[in-house]
Amino acid sequence: MQPKPIALKILDVVSIISIAAATYLALFFAPTEAVMGQVQRVFYFHIGTAWVAMLGFILAAVAGIAYLVTKNMLWDRFEVAAVEVSAMFFFITIALGSIWARPAWNTWWTWDPRLTTAAVTELIYIAYFMLRQGIEDPEKRARFGAVYSLLGGLSAPITFMVIRLFRTIHPVVIGSQSAAAQGGFSMTTNMRTTFFFALFAFTVLFIDLIWHRIRLGGLEEKVEQLKLEASI
Amino acid sequence: MKKTSPSLLKATLAIVQKDLAAEFRSFELISAMLVFSLLVIIIFNFALELDIKTRQSVTAGVLWTTFAFAGTLGLNRSMAVEKDRGCMDGLLLAPVDRSAIYFGKAISNLAFMLIVEAVILPVYSMLYNVNLFRLDLLGVILLGSIGYSAVGTLLSTMSAQTRTREILLPILLFPVAIPVLLAAVKASNGLLAGAEFSEILTPLNILIVYDVIFIAVAFMVFDFVVEE
Amino acid sequence: MFLETIPDTSGYMIAGFGVCFAVMGIYILSMYLRGANLKRDAEMLESLQVENKKTKSKTDTAKKK
Repeated sequence: MQPKPIALKILDVVSIISIAAATYLALFFAPTEAVMGQVQRVFYFHIGTAWVAMLGFILAAVAGIAYLVTKNMLWDRFEVAAVEVSAMFFFITIALGSIWARPAWNTWWTWDPRLTTAAVTELIYIAYFMLRQGIEDPEKRARFGAVYSLLGGLSAPITFMVIRLFRTIHPVVIGSQSAAAQGGFSMTTNMRTTFFFALFAFTVLFIDLIWHRIRLGGLEEKVEQLKLEASI
Repeated sequence: MKKTSPSLLKATLAIVQKDLAAEFRSFELISAMLVFSLLVIIIFNFALELDIKTRQSVTAGVLWTTFAFAGTLGLNRSMAVEKDRGCMDGLLLAPVDRSAIYFGKAISNLAFMLIVEAVILPVYSMLYNVNLFRLDLLGVILLGSIGYSAVGTLLSTMSAQTRTREILLPILLFPVAIPVLLAAVKASNGLLAGAEFSEILTPLNILIVYDVIFIAVAFMVFDFVVEE
Repeated sequence: MFLETIPDTSGYMIAGFGVCFAVMGIYILSMYLRGANLKRDAEMLESLQVENKKTKSKTDTAKKK
């Protein structure tokens, strides 16, 4: 692995600062929500991680198409990075959603469409890794991975459509006048600032982690290549 | 004299014909799917409290779960048979557009699923005193089965080439097929409960959208997934 | 809707942020560990390669004689 480029070092620092700032905003700057109390503060990170996860899954699908068209392994490396980092963030999304649900709806989990499909989406990406693990040939692995990340990337937005169209107890925070679902709330200015800054901070962190994972992927390929040569 | 390769339609139909003919000789696939489906329904009877009231709300779910599991069985076996008999290699060598192989396999897989469903529906109707012989319900079942087969055929082609083979298919298929199953269950439920058409229209639309998107994608991508 | 008191859900809040940082921390740690292991493997394999080349050139020259 080549030495860390300066841009990445800077990005590391910026990521840490951004996340720290977002944490401060979420914990202290944003007002306490009247109905749910302090737990509502996890909402900013819940949405932040959800946003980057969804972004990542879509990027993975695009990378899949790019690989199939160009056959360039760099796209495969990017795709794996996107899926892995996004799966990690989405796990946090689901966990935070569950932690928020407990005091808000008095249950750790409900099988309402949005939560169920969030779990399903996460399972798609776990399946993605199981698929890759079952293939030894790197070229075939890249091909199959690309196809599956494309299928997954199509399934995720359809899932999102299903959310909006079916009745749900999940709060619709953005774009609703009245909090028709339980636990909804409208945002004050401070909340809005925190919200958008959290989105920004997680986007920065997301790019940083993907970059690191891509570098790791390059090292993985190098070792695999060396092992192949050694076995000849 | 140069022999022109058969048209896509001809090739597709030829493959469907081959699969159906082979199956009707032995019935090993359909019989296995049928027996399995019956067993699943019986297990559901023990697993769930199916008194008259709950039966109404659960019928759609039980049916689609059964179809999904039986479908997986059929998809796996159908692909395994190709590999075992070496048919796949033969098909790949033939001067035929690869998409014909995809459409052919998908249609025959769909056919097997529909045949099994055609038997299960009357059986379930009898066992639980529910009228399932409605044209609109059959339409929903058809749409759902199409989507399931379309994705399932593509994924079974992939899983057949991995180390874990058949075990991997459900893991790959179920999460991606959830929109189909969810929409199909919602639509079926709505129909059986006599809901307003506007309520059923939404899941119906999702079914159609899903079918169109995934058939198109599977057809475009199949070439990358079939063995060299 | 006017509430007398805001419920104290700070325990859940701490759990939430805790989970978030724990998972991110574990992931970053796993990337670091994987990188370290791979570097070690690469070095070992590369030195093996060098040794093989040396012994190969020795046997080649031995064969020529």
